Amino acid sequence: MRITRTVKYEAERVRGFGREIMAVPGCETLLSCIQCGTCSGTCPLSVYMELSPRQVMALVRADFKDEVLRSNSIWLCASCYGCTVECPREIRITDIMYALKQRAIRDGVYPKRFPIPILAKEFTAMVRSKGRVTETLLVMRLFMKANLMAVLSSWRQGIGLIRTGRFVLKHERIQRRGELETMLAAAARDKEGS
Amino acid sequence: MNAGAGTEIRTGFYICHCGQNIAGVVDCPAVAEYVARLPSVVVSRDYKYMCSDPGQELIKQDIREHNLNRIVVASCSPLLHEHTFRHAVEAGGLNPFLFQMVNIREHDSWVHTDHAAATEKAKALAYAAVRRVRFHTALETKRVSVHPDVLVVGGGIAGIHASLTLANAGKKVFLVEREPSIGGHMAKFDKTFPTLDCAACILTPKMSAVGAHENITLWSYSEVVKVEGYVGNYQVTVKRKPRYVNEELCIGCQECIRACVYKEAKFPDEFNVGMGKRKPIYIPFPQAVPQVVVIDPARCLQVKSGKCKQTCVEACADRRAIDFTQREELVQIKVGNIIVTTGFKLFDAKRIPQYGYGVYPNVVTSIELERLVTSSGPTGGELLLRDGRTPQSVAFILCVGSRDYRTNRWCSRTCCMHSMKLAQLVREHTGADVTVFYLDIRAPGKGCEEFYDKSLKDGIQFVRGRVAEVTDWAVTPEEEGKLVIRAEDTLAGLVRRIPVDMIVLAVGMEPQSDAQDLRRLFNMSCGTEGWFLEKHPKLAPVSTFTDGVFIAGCCQGPKDIPDSIAQAGAAAAEAMALIDRGYIEQEPNTAYVVEEDCSGCKSCIPICPYTAITFDEAKAKACINPALCKGCGTCVAACPSGSIRQHLFEDEEIMSEIEGVLSHA
Repeated sequence: MRITRTVKYEAERVRGFGREIMAVPGCETLLSCIQCGTCSGTCPLSVYMELSPRQVMALVRADFKDEVLRSNSIWLCASCYGCTVECPREIRITDIMYALKQRAIRDGVYPKRFPIPILAKEFTAMVRSKGRVTETLLVMRLFMKANLMAVLSSWRQGIGLIRTGRFVLKHERIQRRGELETMLAAAARDKEGS
Repeated sequence: MNAGAGTEIRTGFYICHCGQNIAGVVDCPAVAEYVARLPSVVVSRDYKYMCSDPGQELIKQDIREHNLNRIVVASCSPLLHEHTFRHAVEAGGLNPFLFQMVNIREHDSWVHTDHAAATEKAKALAYAAVRRVRFHTALETKRVSVHPDVLVVGGGIAGIHASLTLANAGKKVFLVEREPSIGGHMAKFDKTFPTLDCAACILTPKMSAVGAHENITLWSYSEVVKVEGYVGNYQVTVKRKPRYVNEELCIGCQECIRACVYKEAKFPDEFNVGMGKRKPIYIPFPQAVPQVVVIDPARCLQVKSGKCKQTCVEACADRRAIDFTQREELVQIKVGNIIVTTGFKLFDAKRIPQYGYGVYPNVVTSIELERLVTSSGPTGGELLLRDGRTPQSVAFILCVGSRDYRTNRWCSRTCCMHSMKLAQLVREHTGADVTVFYLDIRAPGKGCEEFYDKSLKDGIQFVRGRVAEVTDWAVTPEEEGKLVIRAEDTLAGLVRRIPVDMIVLAVGMEPQSDAQDLRRLFNMSCGTEGWFLEKHPKLAPVSTFTDGVFIAGCCQGPKDIPDSIAQAGAAAAEAMALIDRGYIEQEPNTAYVVEEDCSGCKSCIPICPYTAITFDEAKAKACINPALCKGCGTCVAACPSGSIRQHLFEDEEIMSEIEGVLSHA
């Protein structure tokens, strides 16, 4: 049995972190949280989480950045929006989870081989370059990065899908991709300006 | 003793089902059948709800049709419906005291599970009552007039409101306050929750109204020392402490204070809870009512030693308001009702040493902070640390001396809201980070949950966890020079060390230290915690077990200003109901002396809790004033010659009742 010291000092808080998360549109309602636990009770995945959604909310508000960003909880969120619908204070918990995921990716503190952040990154990269997602290619890329063995072990299924024409290896793309780029650039400018 | 000797006793018996309350356990028809066979019983019935109109009608009808002259009802507690049934008996044409009630609900069906045994118990109780009621005699209730004046004890917000309500209705009020000014705790507050309106702005108009009201006699710096009499007719002795200033002559110009031989104010000032300074001659606070100075006998050189230049007297000049010859005075008044609004005292934070109150100068209590943020306070409203810096971070510790088996078990009810209000004020004054350590936030009052929500949105941090200790022991650089709180953040699941500049202890409320003396003085009861006990927690919240004595405000239990005012208004209305009816009907269960048997031993006189017994020197016999007698029976039991008897509790009645219970078994 290993015994570790776990007291939290003030230096471990990252002052202003909670405010930054709450600055994301729709997330400012976190201030009203009364820690009732409805979110954790509603969440179908909270039983797998290191920190329950309620604890995540408490820690964000109290500026415990590392504790939140390093926990698996934000990545297990399946965006079912159950918590957001049930919250008595109308806190957009799912949106806060997204804000936390974005922040974790930006700070590079996400679990490296965990499929969910990889999927998120690949998904946005594909939309950004092609304007549309080709699911088969997205899944391929996800497996390549997250778990190469899984791709190799399911080769039989792959061949079957190719035969039936369900495994498209050609990228789907939109027309006038330049307009998408303009839109994304405008959105990025908007975000910086806010 | 059998009234109407020679007349046949004809008893009617009624057993109530009380829905399923009684009938669910006791076999009511079986009891009725059993009683029907008893001697002297003419009618015996069971009915679903005896207290209902048809139930009462049943009694009235049977009295007429069967010529009944005794009635027994087996149902709930006499406390609830004795009055109802006596009324029905009277309406049926009988004297209401030819009636006996049997409690087979609280004493039987509600406390037993064995149906057969409970039914047998009901039969035994019914048999006892049927035997007893034979000896009942016709009695008359007496009427006593009610003196229209009212005494209000304690000049906090509750006492002020009760006095004004009565005075505005044209009743004469004596308001007695122990301190030199009325105003109580509320006068010390800066703002009030949840509206954040200025406490002084809403309180001082009421205080001046009391001072100026023609129907209110205000005796500040005075205490009630003796209460005699009974509802409607109390004689009260009030001790007026010498303030060495004639209240009639002083106009509150304060020239004397400026002229005092003590050039500097150097004595701790009570109004600022010891944080400000005053002279031996002072006015408690600018808006004090009455606007009359007071001399502190423990500090004034003239009072203490008789050796002073008396510059104050010189300054007062022709007005001659200062009077060192004043002595304690006892004044007697007559009132019909008394309203007790003696308030609370604050928990002494030193009793929880781990919070460092009295050790670390920047650990303060909530009332001290209140004085520190108010512009009339010792710092003029500037919130500073003891070294003059502005605090950057302030923590509140809630439930200090509340919800703790080792100090006080109760919730003081106001500290959550009081602390959130102060937290807002701290942020307004200093912009400091505020953290509130709480066990539960209790904000049930109107507008209070909204205030909590506002506090959350304003960024006040709430940490759920009871603080374990406060130290100045720094283990990290950021903790240097700070007070460090160690607590579990139970919601985050972390044990945390939090350094702050200032700590505010939200101290709870306690009964006044002399609450027990007051209880005896006014013949009230106290709950186990020491708060004055109301007659019924729901149905008679401002009445006490002594008729004509009412309670309001925090002497009954912790409460906020709106609740105190509501109770004060209720107490005033209760008093007015008695005054405007003009008379009291007295239960005729009083004790009386059979003079030929009285030996004049006087043993009954000191034991009477209501001082109802006097000694008739001419006859050398004890004499009971029926208006004062409450029918407690103490003297009846104590009389060595058995010469004191009691209506409704005559020996024959009690003995036959006991025989009834025992002979059934």
